[in-house]
Amino acid sequence: MEKGKISSLQMAMILYPAVVATAILLVPSLTAQYAKQDLWISPMLASIVGFVTIFIAVRLHQLYPGKNIFQIIEETIGRLPGKLAGLLILFFYIEITGEMTRGYGSFIVNTFLKQTPLVVTIASMVFLCAFAVYGGIEVLARAAQFFFPLFFIPFLFLVLLLSPYFQVHYIEPVLADGWVPVIKGAVVPSGWFAELFLIVFFLPYLTDKGKAMKYGILTVAGIGITLVTANLTALFVLGPTLPTKVYALMNASHYISYADFFENLESVTMAIWIIGAFVKISAFYYVIVLGIAQWLNLSDYRPLIWPIGILIVEFGYWSLPSSIELARFESRIFPFYSLLMQTTLLIIIFVIASVRKKGRKKLGLSE
Amino acid sequence: MIRNVSKLLKHTKGQKSKKEEINQAASKPQDPLYPNFNDNVEALRSIYKDCSDVIFRSFSLFGKTRAIVIYMEGLSDVQSLEEYVFTPLTKESTDPPSSLSDFLVHQLPVAKVTKIHLLADCIESISTGNPVLLCEGQSSAFSLGLAKSENRSIEEPMAESSIKGPRQGFIESLQVNISLLRKIIKTPAFKMRSLKIGTHTQTTVTLAYIEGLADPTLIEEAQNRLNGIDIDGVLESEYIEELIEDNPYSPFPQILSTERPDVVCANLLEGRIAILVDGTPFTLIAPVSFASLLQSQEDFYQRSIISTMIRWMRFFFLGVALLFPALYVAVTTFHQEMLPTALLLSIASSRENVPFPAIVEVLIMEIAFEALREAGIRLPRQIGSAVSIVGALVIGQASVEAGLVSAPMVIVVALTGVASFMMPRYITGISIRMLRFPLIILGGTLGLLGVVMGFIAIVIHLCTLRSFGEPYLAPVAPLQTKELKDFLWRSPLWMMNRRPHLTGDYNEHRQSSHLSPNPKAGGEAKNRQE
Repeated sequence: MEKGKISSLQMAMILYPAVVATAILLVPSLTAQYAKQDLWISPMLASIVGFVTIFIAVRLHQLYPGKNIFQIIEETIGRLPGKLAGLLILFFYIEITGEMTRGYGSFIVNTFLKQTPLVVTIASMVFLCAFAVYGGIEVLARAAQFFFPLFFIPFLFLVLLLSPYFQVHYIEPVLADGWVPVIKGAVVPSGWFAELFLIVFFLPYLTDKGKAMKYGILTVAGIGITLVTANLTALFVLGPTLPTKVYALMNASHYISYADFFENLESVTMAIWIIGAFVKISAFYYVIVLGIAQWLNLSDYRPLIWPIGILIVEFGYWSLPSSIELARFESRIFPFYSLLMQTTLLIIIFVIASVRKKGRKKLGLSE
Repeated sequence: MIRNVSKLLKHTKGQKSKKEEINQAASKPQDPLYPNFNDNVEALRSIYKDCSDVIFRSFSLFGKTRAIVIYMEGLSDVQSLEEYVFTPLTKESTDPPSSLSDFLVHQLPVAKVTKIHLLADCIESISTGNPVLLCEGQSSAFSLGLAKSENRSIEEPMAESSIKGPRQGFIESLQVNISLLRKIIKTPAFKMRSLKIGTHTQTTVTLAYIEGLADPTLIEEAQNRLNGIDIDGVLESEYIEELIEDNPYSPFPQILSTERPDVVCANLLEGRIAILVDGTPFTLIAPVSFASLLQSQEDFYQRSIISTMIRWMRFFFLGVALLFPALYVAVTTFHQEMLPTALLLSIASSRENVPFPAIVEVLIMEIAFEALREAGIRLPRQIGSAVSIVGALVIGQASVEAGLVSAPMVIVVALTGVASFMMPRYITGISIRMLRFPLIILGGTLGLLGVVMGFIAIVIHLCTLRSFGEPYLAPVAPLQTKELKDFLWRSPLWMMNRRPHLTGDYNEHRQSSHLSPNPKAGGEAKNRQE
């Protein structure tokens, strides 16, 4: 199946952009719609979901070392229900990757290349990701590692260059309406944190399994800090107008102007963001083809790459009629869908698995 | 990961060793020499029929025994042959030595006399320039080490000149090249394995490494790959390179070729292997990473801070050579808002009369530049200057004045060209220049999106590459923090205590760890106190 091995650090460098890439674009305005000026607290609350997901995923892997998620599910809830649950997960991932590419494509088409057909942007990106997926987990990890600084450092620069335009008083009043709007606002980013479920697919291929928990927690913390920073930056620059903007940070980057030369840097922001989107989509794409191969007990996942790629393009192109529908999906449906299919499912399986293991130990049965 | 590599290496071994046996069986017929003198001479005469350069010189040994010396004109030292072989042997002596064979091997004043028993060995000896002596009553022949070859003298390497550092370059003779290496690395642990490749050229190819520094699996893998070669002729080390590299379709070289002995030695000391090929000044080094293609020998002959600065310039210009024309096209075609108004106006006014879109304009200029470069290399030097005049005046100035090309475009193309020449290895510059064209087309069709996608595709390709098992993008991806000290910057020599880790086992320590110059702790302080 997959013979490559990656390190925990590489896994963290895949997971970080896999969550942050799209979150950084949409989360500031989506949380602002509920939490208003308290939007910076919401990602902190949402990161609890991330910690729980990582913790359970690593513990589950320790209970069943060397087994993939589908084998674990089948062992805990039985063969047929296990297969069905696996199918649900895989279907969820294909659909969500389709939405993701749609989000990517319509962002490009709406903001930059207004005359380019949507399908061109989606298909070219999926094609590129297929190229990376074909190389296997090692190539994916190396590419993610190479791109990590190219994605992360410009983000820091963006915040730094925007800092003169910060109006810190926008943050007041803190918690004016109590905790309820903040918690409502936290639901949206928690959908993104649930995507850390991807870690279960990478855990069996780690060279240093002992460090998986450490780097997993670091990833969640890194994502949390990044989202809080992004939210605060958007809030400080845009203020009360923030909820009306779709791509808040992108709008904020328009404010940058130095020495009459560094201005209108949205295109640069887009270019950098494409790198993040690439890592994200190829991570999901890889997980889908690997998952299907594991689910069907195939010996190789590579023959699945092209058919699944076409499926992803179709889901991206046809599953949503318009950008308005896409926005509605991202704010209303995605968080709950994502939480249900990833974190909740993981918790259920973990509970069943640990009860079963304990029961066996009590009965004195060897594994 | 390393474990996988060594598994992979082991996997290929079994298949190749079989082929090697067959190879050897085919090229070396095990026919022994005939016991009869006349039969042997006849056999050799029929083999060398119609070879006008092979001389059969008969004479009588000590005036009694019939003998013959066979050699190739021009490959053997005729004067020495005359002086040290014919003169003592044709002397009519009253008491010939009791054992002729012992006499020839031990008392002939020639540096190397070998007894050979096979016909094939005779042929090999003759064709390498060593005369063969056959005499009546002897079942074996004698190969006399009197080969002589015309070499050009050792000169400064043409393709890799440097301001500071040794000025010797390899030449076309393998023996001289090996001696140049041996002059630098004197330890007996410096080993060389030779083999002959090419059915017709029988070119000597030498695999050189330092025992204890190079990983044994790496040496074995290289040996296997070399043994697997079955080709007509080897005229240049590129022939070997193309037949042993990991990914033959990649635009990036996965084996480094150099004509500098100091570069080869530096790499041998880092645990790499070198493959020397007779007849070419270019030596191959493996495994290499992308990082080593961006390094120059002079980085280590200069102060570390200066080298670091030059290295950063190189990284920057690597980006320029690859992306600048594509970015120019993308920005002027799709993202004009990125440019400051003043700059945008000046570009727009210079483009006003240009009849082509930016992408066509840049492609015309880039292709013209490549043509000029290629023409300049192939032409004799006297005409080469004419090409550069034509290039500078006609293509540059005249096309701008005629309004066919805008002036900023000429600047972009010129800067890109200069940037690609910043690459210390010529071959790297070429691969970068080649990849520029698809990026220009992507930039002209999808704007920045296209450029970024092209860049991502190149990085993915680099991530898949391996050179003899070593990941090509190391030490960046996979990240090897300890080795960044010789990639992102050039640490002072006393900080580079550890050898870079290639594949498999390695010898970790390069030098003693207290080399940091420190006058307070060193001898100077003591002297002052006294």
